[in-house]
Amino acid sequence: MNIFGEINCYGQCLRSWAPFVSLFFAMSIALIATSLILKDPKKRLRTFVVAQATVLFAIATTFYLMNCSEMLSLYLYFAYVAISTALIFATLRYYDRLMIKRLEAKPAGSILKWTQEFVDKLTSARVYYFDSAVPKAFAAGRSIFISIGLLELLDEDELKAVLAHEAWHIKHNSRMPFLSQLALMAFSSSTEPELEEQADRFASRIAGNAALYSARNKVDKVFI
Amino acid sequence: MVKLDQINISNDGLTKFFSPIEAAILRALWSEGEMTTSELTGKTNIPLTSVAGTLDRLVKAGYTTRRTENINGRVRYVYEPVFSEEEAASEITTKILDSLVQAFGPLAVENFSKYSDKK
Repeated sequence: MNIFGEINCYGQCLRSWAPFVSLFFAMSIALIATSLILKDPKKRLRTFVVAQATVLFAIATTFYLMNCSEMLSLYLYFAYVAISTALIFATLRYYDRLMIKRLEAKPAGSILKWTQEFVDKLTSARVYYFDSAVPKAFAAGRSIFISIGLLELLDEDELKAVLAHEAWHIKHNSRMPFLSQLALMAFSSSTEPELEEQADRFASRIAGNAALYSARNKVDKVFI
Repeated sequence: MVKLDQINISNDGLTKFFSPIEAAILRALWSEGEMTTSELTGKTNIPLTSVAGTLDRLVKAGYTTRRTENINGRVRYVYEPVFSEEEAASEITTKILDSLVQAFGPLAVENFSKYSDKK
């Protein structure tokens, strides 16, 4: 199992199949390029995911065509996939509990009753607040976290826009680990911006475009 | 009680011991007593971007305390200084004199008495 032997092995095994495998890689590059051009975030997301799946298929085909046994790169790839899978799913399950402990977060319903009631109507998630003057909101697991700084800064409509945005993330949380998993396995970037855009669309439907816009404006000014 | 990690003798006034934003916040709190975040940004004329993180730090370091209030359905922080200006001045003076004595021993003490005679 040495590196030159392995490169040689790739050369030997792929010789006749090279056009086939490179066709897959070319296809995925074309798909990624298309996803960059597309305007609609939903379509862009879909194209990008298909591109990632194609890369994954190309990788799988390559390994299938390998006749050599005990390939180091094969083992490394499987170890990489196993570790990243464990990490991604553990993060999804335990991250919110960790954050509650670390931020000493408390149920937001106890400080501002309507926040929990509002989120209950959108999805099943707990809203927590934490002690910080820095305006911040994020979703983790099945929990939404907002800082007191954010509560100070935003009015009710703007806060609703932020909560709706985070609620969208939680609603679609079951999709996230698979998307990040796919991104890792295909060695590509994640689809974060597209997801953010969709969460914003949902928020503007729920709380109105004006509220979302002014909340974004205020918070973006706070986050440089 | 006051934690001084950095002293810059060449700086002006309170910024010898605090960052400019920390100094502005402390000065405002010493003159007004209790203040909300928006009152602080208004009084010091420093945008929330720069103030928010510093406020968290000041609270953590024990210079100020804050409580949350719910006024007309809106949540607010109300800040209060932990030490008065006099307490902070005496604490800082003691800290610095201690460090001078630690560095120069009797020589430092001799110079203190010379200094107070001159004054």
